[in-house]
Amino acid sequence: MISIRIERLTKRFGGQVALDGVSFTIEPGEIFFLLGPSGCGKTTLLRSIAGFCVPDDGRVYFGDEDVTFLPPHRRNTGMMFQSYALWPHLTVAKNVAFGLEERRVPRGDVLLRVAEALESVKMGAYAERKIAQLSGGQQQRVALARALVVRPRALLLDEPLSNLDAKLRLEMRAEIRRVCKESGLTAVYVTHDQKEALSISDRMAVLENGKIAQIGRPTEVYRFPQSKAVADFIGETNFLSGRVVAGTGEGTLVETPVGIFRGFASEPDWSPVSGETVTLSIRPECWTLGKVHSTGEASGQPNLCAGHVASTVYLGEVAQHHFVSGGADLKVFEMNPQASSHPPDREQCLTVDSRDVVILRR
Amino acid sequence: MSTRQLAPTCVFAATALFFFFFFLWPLGETLRGAFVGADGRLTFSYLFEVFRNRIYLEGLSNAFWLAVWSTALALLLALPLAFISDRFLFPGKGVLSALLLVPMILPPFVGAIGLKAVLGHSGALNTLLLEIGALDSPVDWLGQGRFWGIVALNALHLYPILYLNATAALANVDPAMEEAAENLGCSGLRKFFRITLPLIMPGLFAGGTIVFIWAFTELGVPLMFDFTRVTSVQIFNGIKDIGGNPFPFALVVVMLASTVLLYACGKFLFGRSGHAMMAKATGARGVRTLGWRGGAACTLAFVAVIGLAILPHLGVIAAAFSRDWYGTILPAELTLENFRVALGHDLTLPSIQNSLKYAGLATGVDVVLGVAIAYVVVRTRLPGREVLDALAMLPLAVPGLVLAFGYLAMTQEGKLFQSLNPVTHSPLVILVIAYSVRRLPYVVRSAAAGFQQTSVTLEEAAQGLGCPPFRTLRKITLPLIAANLLAGGLLAFSFAMLEVSDSLILAQKQQDFPITKAIYELYQLLGDGRLIAAALGVWAMLFLAVTILGASLLLGKKLGALFRV
Repeated sequence: MISIRIERLTKRFGGQVALDGVSFTIEPGEIFFLLGPSGCGKTTLLRSIAGFCVPDDGRVYFGDEDVTFLPPHRRNTGMMFQSYALWPHLTVAKNVAFGLEERRVPRGDVLLRVAEALESVKMGAYAERKIAQLSGGQQQRVALARALVVRPRALLLDEPLSNLDAKLRLEMRAEIRRVCKESGLTAVYVTHDQKEALSISDRMAVLENGKIAQIGRPTEVYRFPQSKAVADFIGETNFLSGRVVAGTGEGTLVETPVGIFRGFASEPDWSPVSGETVTLSIRPECWTLGKVHSTGEASGQPNLCAGHVASTVYLGEVAQHHFVSGGADLKVFEMNPQASSHPPDREQCLTVDSRDVVILRR
Repeated sequence: MSTRQLAPTCVFAATALFFFFFFLWPLGETLRGAFVGADGRLTFSYLFEVFRNRIYLEGLSNAFWLAVWSTALALLLALPLAFISDRFLFPGKGVLSALLLVPMILPPFVGAIGLKAVLGHSGALNTLLLEIGALDSPVDWLGQGRFWGIVALNALHLYPILYLNATAALANVDPAMEEAAENLGCSGLRKFFRITLPLIMPGLFAGGTIVFIWAFTELGVPLMFDFTRVTSVQIFNGIKDIGGNPFPFALVVVMLASTVLLYACGKFLFGRSGHAMMAKATGARGVRTLGWRGGAACTLAFVAVIGLAILPHLGVIAAAFSRDWYGTILPAELTLENFRVALGHDLTLPSIQNSLKYAGLATGVDVVLGVAIAYVVVRTRLPGREVLDALAMLPLAVPGLVLAFGYLAMTQEGKLFQSLNPVTHSPLVILVIAYSVRRLPYVVRSAAAGFQQTSVTLEEAAQGLGCPPFRTLRKITLPLIAANLLAGGLLAFSFAMLEVSDSLILAQKQQDFPITKAIYELYQLLGDGRLIAAALGVWAMLFLAVTILGASLLLGKKLGALFRV
């Protein structure tokens, strides 16, 4: 178990900046996700950790060891590639044995450990198969076994599930987390699939344009995004722009075209001041849809807005409403939807808890 | 059968018949000559006799070792260059990798004249080394049996085939395959031998097979070196009494059997898995730009190989311009006399005319057949079209010598095609057929590529607007694939112009000689013969250069794809 420390890592390709002074530390035994839209630098960062990419500036440490210029074959990491990169000219067992042979492990131990590794990913029966005879999910398991059998210092995963169908993906997600936790591995996992990241990561870093936009546990990143980009990339949200009217007592009051909302700024070291223009982020599932009880209720009271449901997509466990209020379009998710329809001429109102209203810089 | 399938089926049937009569039939006639005795019974005695005869055995063994060494040397030249060009960017890369292919199209048969002028007993190299005092007495560089001279010429002529196959194979290797090896602790040469080489093995083998068979059955070069103890030349010499002598037949069958065996082995070893990449390469490999030192080294490696490969041909050019080149480093006196004499010789002009006629007609046949076959293979779903496709590519694998011999066998008196006999009748038809069958794969390949690149929807759009299928082909499809066809046709034409085995074997009367046979005959003349032959060779190379340049301008980077097997 090692920690991985990244210090001011910078990498340019031609004029393009892929990484722009990135710094963070991955704790020993942690499953750490690198997340972001394509082209954000996450793969370059992973390849710098693996050693395939030599940074222009900055340092990479494994524990206390500076590995910045150590070639990949001497870093002792286990990597899983997006294409699996299983060698078609070798059998399953030979693929898995490769890393052990390179480490000059005695023949008997190699056989033993290969069998063990294949057993642990439930591929023991396929040892003598050629790679071409395996399905995608089986190849993925073999790739995992090949990466783990050498007992690497860290497991590096480059979108390992992107070539699998949805059902297998769910299965393998849990499998990868189980294996990592059982062997106490530090793992770095690159993906653009936020569900993957939210479900199995200990912590995640959201990258944007070669910079870290936010680092935190899944709940932190989802519930308290620190920028519009993060709020937009992780999950769905409604953005409302408004003006701060008062910063008194609990939270901050913001006036928007659809009403006044009380919320909290999640960016550390920033508290919006009165008169400042800000953006609110309110997740669709945070709204509560209800009837209007009395006229005038909608006006003046915070965290409440009136309007009507313009259209609905019914998905069984959830109904996705398109809600129109004062000229603004809002996404509203209603869990366990009861009513079969919401006629557009019926006036309704939305309420939201102050803790679900996130105030962001404009 | 629906009327929609009628036309394709007719095309299919016609091309299949052509192949049956002019590809399978001659092979069958050869087999019959080898296995059917004078009494009309099946016999294996001729074949056994071949293996008991020491001269024939020596010929086979020489042919085998010539092929082994030629292939090994070609691989040694091609693989490092292919690797460099796959991984690095260096000064002049574009031009040099194009020039690297040039030796392939220069006839090695002509190059032999130049190589002997440079490396012969009184050649340029010996004279140079004597002058500077590095040698006391001249060395016979080409060796007693000329063995290594032939190997060198073969290798320098054939390495581009391996180079093209190797670069294609390397480009298909997912970079992650090698990264995975590095990640697990394997790097450098070890990585190359454990991962990269096995992965490109099928590609290398495909190219290596072609090179091996080519060298194994090469006729022109050993003939120019007077190296008679090799099977191809023995067959050539046996043709004179083809009527009564069964041994040339048996030798041809042994040769054919060896090549078939080689293919079968290759298919068994590499064909099954094919190592097709499971997933597409996820990222393009970064081609590294080298510093000036590494860059210069790579440039130099390319320049050296190219220089070595065109050295024989430079020798040809020098010989063509010299009044006398014997015992001097460079020709003693330059002159245009040889070109004048070459053009004036009564062998020359008719031979050029003949070659133009044969090659032109053969190219016409190739383009028509090529388009037809490519159309059936790419655009229809007729059962058996894969067989036709494989059949059309087979001439690449069957040695030209074998096929030429088969043509001769099937036109003997009393045979079905005796009216095509090149001795008693004009060899025009049989030569055109021979030329076109051998070059057909190039045209089929380029036409098929054209059909594949041209979306069917373009044709469907025309048909939807009321244009019948054949007019669609003429008005829409053919113009779209014209560049491919022209390039394929040009290649077929220039290869046919300098074809060796068919020309030497099938053209037997002086008034029917094509260029290559004229060069061979001129070369045999005493006195200035070799210089005049060189001059005619220069004309031929010039001509080739122009057509190839034309083809590469038309096709751009796709030129290399035509040589890929």
